[in-house]
Amino acid sequence: MTIERAGAGDADGSDLERRSRALLQQSADALPGAVRSRLTQARYAALAARPVRAHSFARRWVPAGAAVAAALALLVVYVPRGHEVVETPLANAGLEDIELLSDNDAMPLDVDQDVDDDFYEWAADVAAGSSVPAVGS
Amino acid sequence: MRAFASLDSETAALIPSGKAHLRDSTQDGARALDMFLASVERKAFRIAQIALRHEADALDVVQDAMLQLSSRYGSRPPEEWRPLFYRILENRVRDVQRRRSVRNRVMSYMPWNKDDDEDAADPIDQAVDRGALPPAQLESDEAMAALEQALAGLPARQRQAFLLRNFEGLDVAETAAAMKCSQGSVKTHYFRALKALRSKLGEFRT
Repeated sequence: MTIERAGAGDADGSDLERRSRALLQQSADALPGAVRSRLTQARYAALAARPVRAHSFARRWVPAGAAVAAALALLVVYVPRGHEVVETPLANAGLEDIELLSDNDAMPLDVDQDVDDDFYEWAADVAAGSSVPAVGS
Repeated sequence: MRAFASLDSETAALIPSGKAHLRDSTQDGARALDMFLASVERKAFRIAQIALRHEADALDVVQDAMLQLSSRYGSRPPEEWRPLFYRILENRVRDVQRRRSVRNRVMSYMPWNKDDDEDAADPIDQAVDRGALPPAQLESDEAMAALEQALAGLPARQRQAFLLRNFEGLDVAETAAAMKCSQGSVKTHYFRALKALRSKLGEFRT
């Protein structure tokens, strides 16, 4: 085996490349047994350190699940639900109550003070068939 | 399920029986990784050995690279393994070289370091009796030694580009991925490496 200067027709250095490749390959093939044994042990140790696929599967899907959950949370929090007032009695109840209370022209809520109690007593008596004279007559 | 038949019994026992598809795919992945590592281990060792000029360090570096590839990138597609592996390997080689450089700097200041030469092995005793080797083997060994010396003298990036392209057989794109540089840089490093090797080895003939 010889390493020699590339000849005139070998301007790209291919002869040198070919010869050096052959030498290196030969030296790799002729490694001592002890070295080959150490390399085999190293390979087995590396294979034992390989994470099982279940871990990589979980590692792939857990972040995906977290991303989906985060996206859903963002949807719930930030997507506008519409600014128009919902036309339901319950939804507007608080607002109507405030309007009623603050309206000065509205009928007073304590209307009981203007009720004519005597009239109702008389009407009840008439309905019961009694001959009690009308109150105030 | 035939693939599972050759699975190591301890490993097989760890996988629940109801997950046959998981077990098969795990086994396929392990087998693919095993085949990949087996295909690169010797070349990787030689690449590390040429860079570090030390067998034990080279073995450690290859083992670290295998471990890291398996534990961190084992789930990546197999076509990505080769550039990743060689990138890890080169990083480890550089780490060792840095540590060695710092250690040498520190040790050079130590007074007791001066006596170390007395304990060093006699290179004449360590030399192989080359007369006992067949001529072809001797010629090959000398050529290899010259090539190794020339490669070790190259700048790290040139050496890396040359070995990955020419020895490992990576294409320009894979080499660029392994070296974490552009394809243009790979071509430049490779061209300069060839030029330097030719100037060093040009007069070498047997």
